[in-house]
Formats: sequence, C-alpha cells, structure tokens
Amino acid sequence: MHKFKLNPVNSFFAFIALGLILVFVSGKFDDLVVYQGATVMMFVIAISSITLLTGYSGQVSLGHGAFLGVGGYAAAVTRNNYNLPIIVCIVIGVLAAAIAGALIGLSAARLSGPYLAGSTLALAVGLPSIVNRFDSLGGEQGLFFDVGAPPAFLGEGFSPYRWFFYAATLAMLVSLWGLRNVLNSRYGRTWRAVRGNDVAAQLSGVNIARSKILAFTLSAGLAGLAGVILAMTLGTVSPGVYPLALSFSLATGAVLSGINTLGGVMIGAVTLVAIPEIADSISHRLGGSEVLTTNLPGILVSALLILTVLFVPNGPVEQMRNTRNKKRVHAQR
Amino acid sequence: MINLLNTFLNGITSGAIYSLMAISMVLVWRSTRVVNFAQAGMALLSCYFGYEVVQRTGSFWIALPAAMLAGAIIAAVIEFGFMRILLKHSSQGPIASVGPIIATLGLLGLIRGVIGMVWGNADVAIDPPFSVVGFKVGENTLTFSPLKLLALVTVAIILLIITWLFQKTNLGLSLRASAHEPEISRLAGVKVDLVRTVGWALAGAAGAAAGMLQATTGSGGMNPDSLEFRLLLVFGFIAAVIGGLESMVGALVGGMVLGLVLAFVLTYVGGSLVFLTAFMLLLVLLLVRPQGIIGQRAGRRA
Repeated sequence: MHKFKLNPVNSFFAFIALGLILVFVSGKFDDLVVYQGATVMMFVIAISSITLLTGYSGQVSLGHGAFLGVGGYAAAVTRNNYNLPIIVCIVIGVLAAAIAGALIGLSAARLSGPYLAGSTLALAVGLPSIVNRFDSLGGEQGLFFDVGAPPAFLGEGFSPYRWFFYAATLAMLVSLWGLRNVLNSRYGRTWRAVRGNDVAAQLSGVNIARSKILAFTLSAGLAGLAGVILAMTLGTVSPGVYPLALSFSLATGAVLSGINTLGGVMIGAVTLVAIPEIADSISHRLGGSEVLTTNLPGILVSALLILTVLFVPNGPVEQMRNTRNKKRVHAQR
Repeated sequence: MINLLNTFLNGITSGAIYSLMAISMVLVWRSTRVVNFAQAGMALLSCYFGYEVVQRTGSFWIALPAAMLAGAIIAAVIEFGFMRILLKHSSQGPIASVGPIIATLGLLGLIRGVIGMVWGNADVAIDPPFSVVGFKVGENTLTFSPLKLLALVTVAIILLIITWLFQKTNLGLSLRASAHEPEISRLAGVKVDLVRTVGWALAGAAGAAAGMLQATTGSGGMNPDSLEFRLLLVFGFIAAVIGGLESMVGALVGGMVLGLVLAFVLTYVGGSLVFLTAFMLLLVLLLVRPQGIIGQRAGRRA
C-alpha cells in the first residue's frame, strides 16, 4: 500500500492548510478566546523549543524562561529606543536569545543530566535580578512593549487581539515547519544519534559538542521568539512576565506533550492555558475561597505532571502509537 | 574593617546553612542517584510543622527536633511511596534521564500548593529563640547575633552526628556500601531498598534543620513562595555540585565557599548580582573541575 508521506513540500501545504483552518475557526470565537489562542500559540513555540532540546538533543533545561526573557527584553529595548518596525524587533529578539543560548550552550555541551538541569535552573533564578542593575531595563516595573495598531490591510477597527492571534499563529506555523524540516535533516539525525549513544555517535564522526551547541542555540532562538510573542500579547516586559514558574510550566508542558515528539506539542500548550480556567471553575463551584483560587492551578499542573511521568512517560501521542503498533502485531499473527 | 568582619561572619553563617542543605542533597544523590529539586519544598513543609509546634508549645527547642522528625517522615514517605515506583517505571527509554528530575519538580509544585492550601499564602513567622541584636565589639555593633551563633553551632552539631552515624555505626556502613555498590551490598545481605529510604529520611531531617535555621535567621517570615527557600533550593544545589555531589565534606566546603563569595559580592558589588555570581561560580567550576572541589575524576561523568 502506498503510504502518504509528509515531505518538505507537501508538509508546507499542510501547514498552510492548518493555518487557514485556525484563522477560520478563530473567526467563530470572541476576542477573549482568540486572545487565549495567541497564548496557546506562544506555548506551542516555547514547548517545541524544549522538545527540540530535551527530546531530540537530550539536554535538560529547567530555565528556558530566561531565554524567553532575553528575547522579549531585546525586542522591547530596540522597539522603545530605535522605534524599528515590529518585524525587525522580533528578529532582533530571536537573534539575541539565540546568541545567549549559544553562550550557555558552550558550557552546557560539557554538562549532562542533573548538572545541566541545575545550572539552567540557577540561570533562570539569577537572570531576572539583572534588570535592577541597568536603568535602561526598567527595574522591577519593566518596560512597555507597544507593537502598534494592526496593519491597515486588515481593515479599520480590527481587534488587536485577533491581530496578536494571527501574528502568533503565523510565527508558530513558520517555526514548527522549519523545526520539522531541521529535525528530519542531517542535524536532526545527528541529535538523535548523540542522544541515543554518544560514544557510538562520536565514533561515527559526529562532533558531539558542536551538535549540542547547535541544538541549544536553535532552541534558545525559538524560546526567544516565544518570549517576544508573550511580551506582545501582554504589552509589557518585566521580571514578573518571565518568572521561574514560567520555566517550570514549559518543562511541564513538554512532558505532557511527550518529550520526544513534536506531534503532541499542541496538547501541552492547550493544557497549560486551560488549567487555570478549569481550576477557576472548580474553585468557583467549591465556594471560591481565595486560598483555593490561588493554589489550585499549581496543584493541578503538578499532579498532572507527576501522573504523566508515572503512567505515560513518553507522552500521549507516543503511547497511542505504541498501543496501535502492538494491536497491529497481534492482528498479523 | 568592621565591614570586612561583618561580611565574613555573614558569609560563614549563610554558608553553614547552605552546607546543611547541600548535605541533604548529597544524601539523596548517594542513596538513589536523583538530584532532588523538591528538597527545599520538603524542608519548607517541615518548617510549617515546626511552626505549628512553636504555636502550640512556644518553644523553638521542641520545634526544631519536631521539624526534623517531620522532615524525615515526609522524605521517607516520598521515597517509599513515590520515587521507588517512579524509578522502576521510567528506568528505560528517552525519559530515563529526564523523568526523575521532572518528577521532583512536580513534587515541588505539589508541596507548595498543599502548603498554600493548608496554611495560606501569607507570611508566617517563627519567633527566633535568641536575640537578633548583634554582639558588640568596642563601639561597633556587629550584624553577627546570638541567633546566628546558634545557627552555626546547630549546623556543627548536626554535622558531627551525621559523621558519627556514617563512620561509626552499622547503619552508616550499610549506607556507604549501598551507595557505592548496590548489587554487591545486596548480595552481602544489606537491605538496599530499606537503606535508601533511611538515606532519604536523614536527608529530610537535615533539610528540615536547614530550613528552620534559614527561616529564623532570614527575614523571619516564610511563605510558599518565599525568597529564602528559593535561595535554599538554588544555593543548596550549587553548593552540593561545587563539592562534587558525592562527598559530604565537599558539600560542607562548597556551602562555605558559596556563602563567603556571595556575602562579599553582596557587600562590595551589589545585591542584584548575587544570583548571577552564584551561577557563574557554578558554571566556571563545572567547566574547570567537573568532579567538584573534592572528589575523584570518574571515568565517565553522570
């Protein structure tokens, strides 16, 4: 049987189709839902950056929020000081985060497992306090990040939330399509080889350090893009926009999506956005005390994380694939 | 001059607390090969039990051992009821290197949520048993107070007990044996699983003590998101890694080095660079001596 395979060309069309569907569906919802949709897209990009780093290259980062922060701040500073077009600011944000990632990656390539996890954690805790050191970064209050009105061709009085959603969706589609192709390329194979068995990979001529640094740079760049989009939807950058909790949420989202596959990345992103809503409605039903409202989201996320690691360690998508394969093997007997 | 002395004494005090936290991370690492990022959360939970005891009895001296006992029980329950299952479940596949780390993160979040549910998110305070007013040297008042002296002495006593336990008792022998060679120890009749739980319990007690001291010598208050416990989380880990994660002497040295360096940065450079300095220190050390200050170079790092 001929199997339909997604090569770069028809996956390009598949992504365009996905984009059109998303735009069409978003037309059915009101501004609040669409705004949350933009946050989902941001999480998709950020989670896929972790999937790339952890699932494919085998490096653990607990501090990816730091790279989102670098991207967001770089974009906001260029926007505020030089008033460049927004697309240029986004590119600068991505580049700044990628450079930061390359610098960290230089040392990360020599660390492994818990050492790297702890170092990135220390980075995420440490980096935010640097804003108090430089006046141009605005201290704890942060900076405004005004992306301006929606472009004129979308029409007069077009909702800015919808415009955020379009921009975030476009960014998500472009980065996922690019990432997919990179993962299926020579580099992707190299990363998987290093993750699988680094000694064997080295013996087959793979430069392990270079492969790991490349993965870290790319991942940080993607995280930077997510950081700019987050700043865009909130209209501001500050240490509070990129807290330690954000880094933990991203790690959680990546595990919920299945750490070693891009296929489930939407699951984690939607869950991260949905859980505060669900927690809200539950605590509302239970009387809505303040203690419950503040703590329930954290408890739900953590419980879900622990359950996932215990019962579906490879993520729901991989789990389904495995079950299906098992069934197929049974059927053939 | 008085400034220098103050900085030095502050560094020693906070360094001692980081050392204790680092030792609890080392104990966990040695018994199950897991870096427990939930250790500070467990310490915080134990401190809330300590806080309850202080509320009921009014005595810090009952609360400290009570909190340590609570810490030991919490850690043992987590090891027995959760980590053991987890490590059996996810010992293979791509999740193996990430699973335990992520799981301890989940645990941290869960503990914080539970604390928030039970005790609320506002600050609660444990009254310090000793004066927080500094000693007087001639004209000047030091920031070093009887309370901080108490912290140093407590850490020293706990270290002595742990050393005695490890070097002179049968339990210590089994702990060391199963950390080094679990298979051979099992053959020699050591109940490795039980010993692991005991290792976690000891770690929980040490962490609880570090938490109680941190809560009283710090700003005085604690809450589920308090800065003091974030310091314990990050600096405990850094101190443990500086010492090589394997050795308790290393953890002690690591904590002291970290405490002193950070105290000097805080006084002479500025508070906003403290965390970043700790990060740079960690990174430089890992690149120059990946096996830690103390510790032998292994054939292949973990």
